Order: sequence, then C-alpha cells, then structure tokens
Amino acid sequence: MAGRVITVTSGKGGVGKTTFSANVSAALAELGKKAVAVDTDVGLRNLDIVMGLENRIVYDLVDVVEGRCRLQKAIIRDKRLGTLHMLPAAQTRDKSAVSPDAMEKICTELRAQFDFTIIDSPAGIEGGFQNAIAGADEVVIVTTPHVSAIRDADRVIGLLEAAEKQRIYLVINRLQAEMVRRGDMLDIPDILDILAIELLGIIPEDEFIVVTSNRGELASLNPASSAGHAYKNIARRLLGEDVPLLPVEEDKGLFKRLARLFKGQ
Amino acid sequence: MGLLDKLVKHLSPGHYGPQSKAAAKERLKLALTYDRGGMAQGTIEQLRDEIIQVIAKHLAINEEEIEINFDRTVEEDKLIASIPLRMAPRTARTKSK
Repeated sequence: MAGRVITVTSGKGGVGKTTFSANVSAALAELGKKAVAVDTDVGLRNLDIVMGLENRIVYDLVDVVEGRCRLQKAIIRDKRLGTLHMLPAAQTRDKSAVSPDAMEKICTELRAQFDFTIIDSPAGIEGGFQNAIAGADEVVIVTTPHVSAIRDADRVIGLLEAAEKQRIYLVINRLQAEMVRRGDMLDIPDILDILAIELLGIIPEDEFIVVTSNRGELASLNPASSAGHAYKNIARRLLGEDVPLLPVEEDKGLFKRLARLFKGQ
Repeated sequence: MGLLDKLVKHLSPGHYGPQSKAAAKERLKLALTYDRGGMAQGTIEQLRDEIIQVIAKHLAINEEEIEINFDRTVEEDKLIASIPLRMAPRTARTKSK
C-alpha cells in the first residue's frame, strides 16, 4: 500500500488544526479508508482529547522515536470506527525529542499501512513544524478569515515552498456568512487573492464543534453539523471526488430573514 | 428599541462603522509585501523621501500628493508611484476657464 501523508499546519495557533485533523481523519475512515491521525505537538498534546481517545494512551510518538516500543503498539484503534486510528504525542517531553529524520522514518512506515496519515502539527514555525512537515506528501494550511491567521498562513506558504513541498492546499475555517454578507469579514475571493493557493474547502463557524469536542465525539460523523458536512466534503475531495464548495450558508432564522426584508435586501 | 429593531440594526452593514473588510485586505497586502521581501516597515517612508529628493532636483513636484504603494497580485508584486508635477502654466489655464 502506498498511502498519502498529509500534514495540517497554519503558523498561528487556535485556528482549528487539531479539529480539522480529527474530523477529516474520521471522515476518511467513515468513507472506508484506513486512516491514522498523528499528533506531533509534543508537550501539548490535544488530538487525543478532541477525538475522545485520551483514556486509551499507553505509548506515544516519543516512545516510538526512542525505541521503547514498536510503532504498532503506540497506535490506538478507534472502537467506534474500525478504520480510524490515532498516534498520540508525548505530554511530558518537548519537541527536541523528535527530529525530522525520525518523522520521515515513521511516515514511511505509516504510508505502508494506512491509506491516509493525517499529521497534526504544533503552532509556530520552529522545530515542531519542521518535524511535522518532514515526511509530508501534501500539506493543508488551515486559516481563518482573520488578518493574523492569514498573515501567518502566508509565512508558512513561503516556508513550505522553500522546503519544496509541491502540493499545498488551503482550508478556510470558521467563516461567518452573516459577517461576510455585511462586509465585515474577509470573503473567500479576498483570501484566495492574497494567498494564491488552491482551495480545498470552507468550514462554517459551527457550535457543534464545541459540543462534539466537549463529548469526545467527532462533528464529521454527526449529520446535523454544518462544519461536519464541510469536513466530509473535504475528505471526499481528497479522494478525488468533484464536490462543489458549500455555498456560504444563508441565514435560516426567521428574525434574520425579517431583518433583511426590512432592509429591502 | 424593540428586539426586531435591534436585530435589524445589528445585521445591517455599517453597524460597526464602514465595512471593515476593505481595510483588512489593504493592510494585509501591505504587511505581506514587507514580510515577503524581508523589508522593515519603515522602508516605504524612506523610499518616498529619497524619491522626492531625486526628482525634486530636476522637476517641480507636488510633495503632498505623492503616493507610493506596493501592490500584490497573483502574478507579481509592484511598486506603484504616483508623483504629480507642478505645472504652473496649465493650472493657470484651467483656473482661468
């Protein structure tokens, strides 16, 4: 098997890398692909708690790197979806415990076992970022429509180009349709004009993300979640399906509609 | 103010003043030009002063109206300078009309 290794990165913290990694891995697994989500944020691991697998960790990435266990033993298989897996980061070590060479070796092993290896990277552009991208065939940059996140995304694109990564895609997270409509949030064409890379998907702001992660569940497995739907579409695009971008969701509420009626819009 | 009025106001363009998207885009584009070129934020002011010095040696220019900007498009980064000249005779003509 020659699987794909996809690193999820952003530069800025808090834009939704971990949520993206967890949900897209789950969506790919639900579509029948064998997927593993890898947490490379050594010292600040979070993928486990977002995926609801925090109680099942015995070994971690650093144990594998330092030879205390075999890769197979550190990988946790999700009981809800047999095709979904997770490789946790160490919580009590720091980023220097892993190197780009070690990550490349692990990615080679994972590529042979999984259709998709989704690597969640730490915030920043230092060592942890270099570890996360070392073995990547493709890179997804997650940004939000905020100036700070977009500026950092641009910086990361420059670094990825310098590292000769060919396939780089953009995901715009937490888009608020109502603010875009009012002209108070950068719209998709604005962001694409600035960053000039291929768009993989748009994820609307969705309270389900907080609710599902509170419970250790995954929004992409919840048909009621609009963000979950967007993650599922992204998974299908990664599989080569031609899925149209979700239209920026129109407001459904009665009051919002009335408000527009009053404004004559 | 009734609930509906509040809602209408809240959802209207201009609730937070002029639409802020344009400002975001313009500021980002400029910041990214500096970031990408590894330039200091003061570069453009310095450039402006030096351009004025050079041109003013040879031509009468309208210093207040000089505009120097970086522009970023998908294809290229550009430095755009608009330097209006003081053309006394022509100004006099248009005014006399």
